[in-house]
Amino acid sequence: MNISLSPDILFSIGSFPVTNSFFWGVVLTLALIIFFGLVAKKMKNVPGPVQNFVEMILEAGYDFVRSVTGSDKKTEKVFPLVFTLFIFIIIANLITYIPGQSALTISRGDELVPVFRAVIADYGMVFAMTMISIIVTQIVAIYMVGPFGYVGKFFNFKGLFVFFKGLFKGKVDFLGLAQGFFDAFMGIMDLVGEIAKVVSLSFRLFGNIFAGEVLTAVILFLAPFIAPLPFMILGLLSAIVQAFVFSVLTLIYITMASESGGEERKESVPARSCDV
Amino acid sequence: MSKLFEALGLDLRILFAQILNFAILLVALYYVAYKPIFKFLKERREGIEKGVKNAEEAESKLKIALKKEEEIINEAKKEALKIVEKAREEGVEKKESIIEKAKEEVGQIIQSEKAKIKAEKAETLKEIKKEVSGIVILALEKVLDEKIDNKSDKELIEKVTKSLA
Repeated sequence: MNISLSPDILFSIGSFPVTNSFFWGVVLTLALIIFFGLVAKKMKNVPGPVQNFVEMILEAGYDFVRSVTGSDKKTEKVFPLVFTLFIFIIIANLITYIPGQSALTISRGDELVPVFRAVIADYGMVFAMTMISIIVTQIVAIYMVGPFGYVGKFFNFKGLFVFFKGLFKGKVDFLGLAQGFFDAFMGIMDLVGEIAKVVSLSFRLFGNIFAGEVLTAVILFLAPFIAPLPFMILGLLSAIVQAFVFSVLTLIYITMASESGGEERKESVPARSCDV
Repeated sequence: MSKLFEALGLDLRILFAQILNFAILLVALYYVAYKPIFKFLKERREGIEKGVKNAEEAESKLKIALKKEEEIINEAKKEALKIVEKAREEGVEKKESIIEKAKEEVGQIIQSEKAKIKAEKAETLKEIKKEVSGIVILALEKVLDEKIDNKSDKELIEKVTKSLA
């Protein structure tokens, strides 16, 4: 039994190492583009089963995103990212349930390398997606409150500054000092929270999928018949749930960032009237 | 930290490739799928809404047309009734005038016939008188065997006839 936390290198293009999960990530990307491209190209007024399904998931996804963001304007901007994350993760997770994958290996040097590896069971891929969603969140936050407001949210020494200004004039405001310390502390905590988002978001997805893979592999090794089934069903559940969780958390982070500015109040009024 | 990265298999080159990979997927899906599909769905929805609206409009128009049709029919019925009534009145009037005229004509005919009859009667009477007078003369001549003279005879006859008349 061979369990490795890192993906294995299948082959190298020049000095660039192509790992098995990266290879299948690219294949999956191409497959998704071709599939959706074909469906979009062959759209008919009376939909066939495939078009019907694509329409259904797209519209359901759009409605869901809209119910979180609360406005069509925001939904149109954030929907592509959220839906792409969701569809990529869920398909990547589900194709691992096509049986027989772990049997296929190629020999590279003196070791056997499995050809297939779950795309999401590679921390690099998860980290890449996490970075995209977190960076988009930060960009939205900066766009909403401006660069100084964004930095000021994390380094909030306004209260302390006011206290020392008062101190020079002979006023001692201890309540203001306490408030200033508290604000500064909360700012730092926010910064920690932003960094923690990266870790929590990425390790949640990676941990669940990788653990599911390992668990199934271990059970498969110990008792190959019937016994792995409940674990596989649980793994299937977490494959779907984690895809949903990852994309929805991204959606919520971005929505929260988009509501952090003062401009939100102006926007929220027409957005609510749209709901009716 | 670098040990952790190594254990997780994080390679900056692969990481960059993976970010690029996902970015390409995102952009490609946006232009290839989301945009055209949502555009298509929107157009179809609008088309259906338009169709439903048109159908509703057509229905309301049909209702108005039916109402109008009924109105027109009702009006036509009223008009027809009026025309028939008028025609009947006119007919009655005409009938009366025709009868009047006929009566008048009949009266005239009767009048003229009466006059004719009167005239004929008078003529007949005259002729009868003439004849009678001739007969009387003859009779008298026969009675009076002999003639007195022509002149006195005639005078006498006239006297007699006048007294007879």
